[in-house]
Formats: sequence, C-alpha cells, structure tokens
Amino acid sequence: MPDLIDGSENVSVHGILNWIFLLTIFSIITAIGNYLGYHHPMEQSLVGMAILSLITLAGVWMERYLPLNVSSILYISIIGIILAFPGMPTSKFVLHYVSQVELLSIVTVFLAYVGIGMGKSWDEFKALGWKAIVVTVLVIAATYYGAAIVAHIMLVLTGVPAA
Amino acid sequence: MNYSTTLGVVIIPDKGNEGQVEHIYREKTDKRILKRNPWRDYRLHCTVFILVVIAEFIGTIEIPIAKDVAITIMPLIYTMILGLVFYLAKPITWIQRKQARIAEGAMMLFIGVLIAKLAVASGQSINLIFQMGPALILQELGHLATILVLPIALILGFKKEAIGMTNSIGREPNVAVVVDKYGFNSPESRGVFAIFIIGTVIGTVFISFLVTFSLSFLPLHPYAFAMASGVGSASMNAAAIGPTLAAFPGMETQIEAFAGFSNLLSFCVGIYIVIFIALPLTEKLYNWLEPKLGKDAPVHKQEDE
Repeated sequence: MPDLIDGSENVSVHGILNWIFLLTIFSIITAIGNYLGYHHPMEQSLVGMAILSLITLAGVWMERYLPLNVSSILYISIIGIILAFPGMPTSKFVLHYVSQVELLSIVTVFLAYVGIGMGKSWDEFKALGWKAIVVTVLVIAATYYGAAIVAHIMLVLTGVPAA
Repeated sequence: MNYSTTLGVVIIPDKGNEGQVEHIYREKTDKRILKRNPWRDYRLHCTVFILVVIAEFIGTIEIPIAKDVAITIMPLIYTMILGLVFYLAKPITWIQRKQARIAEGAMMLFIGVLIAKLAVASGQSINLIFQMGPALILQELGHLATILVLPIALILGFKKEAIGMTNSIGREPNVAVVVDKYGFNSPESRGVFAIFIIGTVIGTVFISFLVTFSLSFLPLHPYAFAMASGVGSASMNAAAIGPTLAAFPGMETQIEAFAGFSNLLSFCVGIYIVIFIALPLTEKLYNWLEPKLGKDAPVHKQEDE
C-alpha cells in the first residue's frame, strides 16, 4: 500500500503546523460564536480553546508517533480526564477556562464543517432508495432507545435520584 | 464521508489485513490535511464563520406543538443544513468538491476538540462516573436493539444486506468490522455502506429531533438520556446532547460527562460488542427469519453503485 505509507511520511513539522493553523482558525470562529451565543468574554474562551486544541494536538500526535495501535480519541480522552481530575494541580486552571467555552458553541462550528463535508455524499445518498432510509432511521432510533431504556432501568435499580 | 469517528479508531482483534481497513480514515485525513495546506482555503473558513454568525443570531427556536411539548431547533442544526445547502446551491461557486474534501479532513481534527471538551467534563465528574459504572457499561448492550430492525428490513425486501444494516448503527468502526468480516463486495458490506451514507446525511438532524421528542414524551432519568446520546458518532452524540442540555438546566456538567464517557465506551467497547455479540446474533436471527419473512424476488440493491 504505497500511497498509504506515502501519507504518513509527510507527517513532519510541516504537518504539525497545518494542524496548528487549522485549530487556530477553529478556535477563533468558536470563540466568536461563543461570544455571540452565550456572551462569554472572548479572551477567556480563547484560552479555553487553546487548552482544548493543545490536548487535541497531543492526542493526534501521539496516535501517529507512539507505537501503540490506539486511536487519538482515546489519547485525547485520557489527557482531558487526567488534566481535569479533582486534585490535579492543573484541574482548577483547566476547568475555569474550558468552562468558558460552551459545548454547543464548539458543536455549532464543528457541524458547519460536517455539513459542507457531507455534500460530497449527497449523490450517493440520493441513489439509495427510501427503504434503506426507513431502515437507517429505525436503526438509529433503536440504538438510542435501547441504550436509554437499559440505562434508565439500571439507574432506577441502583436507586439514583433523578436530579 | 467519514465524519463521525476518529482519525482511524478501532482495534480489531484479529490477524490479517484489517490494518488497511482500520486506518483508511486516518491516512485519508493525513493526506488531505498535510498536502493541501487546508488553512489556506480562506473561502471555506470564511463561509463557516458566516454560517456560525447567522446561526448564533437566529438562536434557538422553540416551536410548541402541544401543551408541554415543543420542538427545539438549535443553531447547530442551522449550520449543518446551511453548510450542505451552500455546497449544493449552484450560485455558490466557492464551495465545491475541493472545499468539501478539506472540510472533511479538517473536521476529523476538530472532533478532537469536541472530545477534549467532553473529556474535561468526565474528568471533573470522575467519581460520579465510577458510581454509575454499571449503568454506563450495561447501556452499551442496549445498542443491540438495532437487531430488532432486522425483521422490518427483511419485510422491505432486503436479503443479506440486512445483516450489514442492522447489526449496529453503521459508523466507521462498524463499517470496518463488516468489511473485514465479509469482504468489500459482499451484500453485507453494501448494507452497512448504505446505512453509513444515509446516517452521514440525515443521522445528525434525525437524532436531534428524536431526542427532542423523547425528552417531552418519555419520563426517563436525565442521566439515561445523557448516556444514550453516546451512540458512537461524534456528530450524532453532539446533536443529541444539545436538546438534553436544554431540557435539564443546571446539570450541564453531569450530562456532558455521561454523554462523553458513554460515547467513548461506544468507541472502545462497542466495537467488541459488535464483533462478538451483535454480528453473530444478527446472522442467527437472519437464518431463522429470512425463510419466513424474506421475499422471493430479491430486491435489486439500490445501493449497488
């Protein structure tokens, strides 16, 4: 698979710079959206986004450079959890600034890219029949309700109060 | 295409050539991000910026449809739909296939930011997560409910495609597993590809409405809604969290913590559930039900091309 290897050969300083620039653009757009939607001060959300971007960068970097066959999602989650762990010296700082960035502000920007990116699948989507659409919709609903109902039963059985 | 998973998730526990399948997405992302200087495409990023500004100005809209029941439409839905509209609209010439490819590569990186935000919430609430451990882990088995759709797929006329369609929610890791097991050109793979593409286009919007309705109608525990939103796709997870956060004000951290952690579990554990439980079970059910429900004339797979 020569072209696959070809792709990772290019992971260099140049590549990391590209990631950094992209994350910077993403952070700025998110911080502005966060200000417009939730009125959090811009400079605080920028610091929050910088923290999140650094975690992402570390995770993406580790996925490609560490010998373990583990996805960046796992690295990013572990780093995020450890940094915010109660009692960690970093936790106060990280929590303060990250809480300035609303999850939904990030999602709003993220989904704009998703929307543009999914345009590519539009033709394939149109080629599929309504029957496949019915099955997809039911599958998504089944996944959601299956998990929700099992979780609810477990929570009630273990006596977790609803608040 | 691949917007929901990571940069190449999944550790598939067996030999052979799955290395290629499992890293397709990461390699694709790398190629796009590294070779095209994606940050230079100012038209793409300016468009996204404008979409976000429009969306935030419109804000959340609530449409009451009955007493105590309202549909909530959030800015995240506008940006996604507008993004798609911008791509499809003819007069908008600066958002084309090239921009879509860059957007796709870029969002694989931005998933990380989303995951990091959820991880921070999880870390903050780590004690609570350990307390709720049993519920969190067992609800992953709840995802097996997709298999219940198999009879309907059979009645609609699908044959072996149905196995690929109903074994899971059909995101990237699941696609990789099915392709690995049945081969790229098998009917099972065609089925999972169909679910993947349709899920890509309508999944996020659909789940957002599904959750909005469920919040009004189903008297479930708030944590149960949070956990259920971790379906194993970053954008569907995000779209499902939105209305849940709005419905339970004051519980943001817990909801984000459970939703994030449950989505993480879906990535890590969910894949093994699919390999060891869901797929064998789907096959068994297929062999049992197909002679009873299947139609004689196989439907010509629309998803063939």
